[in-house]
Amino acid sequence: MVSECTACGYLAYPPRLLCPGCGGSSWRPRPAGAGVATEVTVRRPVFERRQLPSGEWVEEEPTRLGAVSTEGGVRIIARLEAGIEAGGRVALVRRDGVAVAVEGS
Amino acid sequence: MSAGSEARIVGAAEATYERHPAPERETETFIAEAVVAALADAGIEHGEVDGYGVASFSLAPDHAIDLTWKLGLTVNWLMEDTNGGASGVNMLQHAVRAIEAGDAETIVLSSGDRLDKRDFHLMTDSYNKAVRDYLARLPLSGPNALFAFITERYGAAHGLEREDFACVPIAQRAWATMNPGAAYREPLTLEEYLDSVPVAPPLGRYDCVPIVSGGDAIVVTSAERAARLGRPSVGVRAIRALYNPDHQDGNGIETGFSTIRDDLWAAAGVRPEDVGAAFVYDDYPVMVLVQLADLGLIPDGDVKRYLHRTLLEGRWPVNTSGGQLSAGQAGAAGGMHGLVEAIRQLLGRAGERQVEGLELALATGYGMVLYSHGACHNAAVLERHS
Repeated sequence: MVSECTACGYLAYPPRLLCPGCGGSSWRPRPAGAGVATEVTVRRPVFERRQLPSGEWVEEEPTRLGAVSTEGGVRIIARLEAGIEAGGRVALVRRDGVAVAVEGS
Repeated sequence: MSAGSEARIVGAAEATYERHPAPERETETFIAEAVVAALADAGIEHGEVDGYGVASFSLAPDHAIDLTWKLGLTVNWLMEDTNGGASGVNMLQHAVRAIEAGDAETIVLSSGDRLDKRDFHLMTDSYNKAVRDYLARLPLSGPNALFAFITERYGAAHGLEREDFACVPIAQRAWATMNPGAAYREPLTLEEYLDSVPVAPPLGRYDCVPIVSGGDAIVVTSAERAARLGRPSVGVRAIRALYNPDHQDGNGIETGFSTIRDDLWAAAGVRPEDVGAAFVYDDYPVMVLVQLADLGLIPDGDVKRYLHRTLLEGRWPVNTSGGQLSAGQAGAAGGMHGLVEAIRQLLGRAGERQVEGLELALATGYGMVLYSHGACHNAAVLERHS
C-alpha cells in the first residue's frame, strides 16, 4: 500500500506527515499496484552473520532486490521473487512486513 | 556566504583510522585524539577554544555537551550535527557564521565513530524510521544495494561499464599509496577490481568503503586570530547547501548539487575550472562522478572521457587521501574526511601527496539516505591565505 494525498493526489511511500505537493495532512491508502523492476541486484551480506537489535545472531543469505517504478510513479525498493529480471513487469505485495515484487501485473 | 568570509580554518587532523580497534578505544577516544591533533596542527591552545561542534552516530547516550565536559572545554557556542556525510560542511557553514557574528572566536569541529560488527548493523538497520520499518527486513543491511541501483542507472545514462567506474577507486588508491593513514595502501589494478568479491552487482568490494573507526577535527577561528598565528590559513569563499530537494522521488543521479551549482560559484567569485583539487564525498564511485558533474567540474558532460583522461591518466587531484574508498569510512567522520584532506592540501601539509601550488579547492558533503538515496547536499569553495 502507498499513501495518497486526499487533496492533490500525491503518492507517498513510505508515508509522510505533510504532503510535499500541497502541504495537506490527509492521506488514504491505495494499492501500490503494478510496475517495472528497473534495476536489479543480488545483495551479498557485509558479514556472514549478523546480530539483530534483540541480540540474536542470524546467518546472512544473499537477497535479490530491485527498484520498482510503479504505474503511479512511485519508486519502491522491493525483495524480488526468483525469476524477475531487470525490465520485467511485476506486481507488488506485502509479505513479512516488506514490499515483495512478484511476477505478473 | 559571500567571498572573503572573516573566518579562517587554521588546523585539521585525523585520529588514525583503525579496522579493529581495541575494546577500550571508544568513539570519544577517537574524537579526543582528533581534537588534540587539530589544535596542535593549528598552534592554538586548548584554553582558547570557545566553540565546539561534534558529529557522530555512536555518542549515545552522550551528546555534544557531554563531550565538551569530557574534553575540558568551556564554550559560548555548541553544536551537534546528525547529518552524517554532510556533517562536516554543515558544521563549517554554521561555525563561519558564528565567528563572523562574534558569537565565538575559536571553534573546534569534530566527528568520529567506533563501529564494530554489531554497531554497524544496529546503525544501518535503524538508520532512520523509514529504513527500520520499510527496508531493514528485506533485508537490506546498509546502502550497498541502493547504490547498486544508482550505479546501474548512471552507467546506463552515460554509457559506463565496470571498467569505467573502476577509474575512481584505482585513481584514488594511487593517492592512498602516499597516505600512511589509509586502510588500503597497495596500488589497485583493473584486474583486481574486476575480479573482486561481488557485494551487490554491479558493485564489488572496491566500490564500497572499508568500515573503520576513527575521528576527524578542524579548527576555525577569526581572520584576526589567524593572522597572529603568522602561518597560512584557509578561507571559506562560499558554502551552499540543499536538503531534501526531491522528497526521494528523484532517481538519485540528478541531485541537489546541480541546483546549488550556479549560486555556489557566483558567491565564491570563481569558476569550477579555477579550483586545483576536489574533495568530494565518496561513499561509492558513482557519487564522485555525480558530484563532479553536477557541480560543473566535467563541463563537457563526457563522463567516460573524464574518468580515463582526466582522473586516471591526468591524475587530476580528486580525494588525494585516497578518499573513504581507500582510507576508510569512520561513520560520521566520513563527513569530515574530505574537508580535513582539503585543508591539509591547502595548508601545504599533505606530505608526499602534496598538490603543488594549490590555491583553491572544492569540498563537498553528501548523504543521509532517507529511503532510496542521499538527501543532504552541501559544498564549500576553500581558498589558501598565505
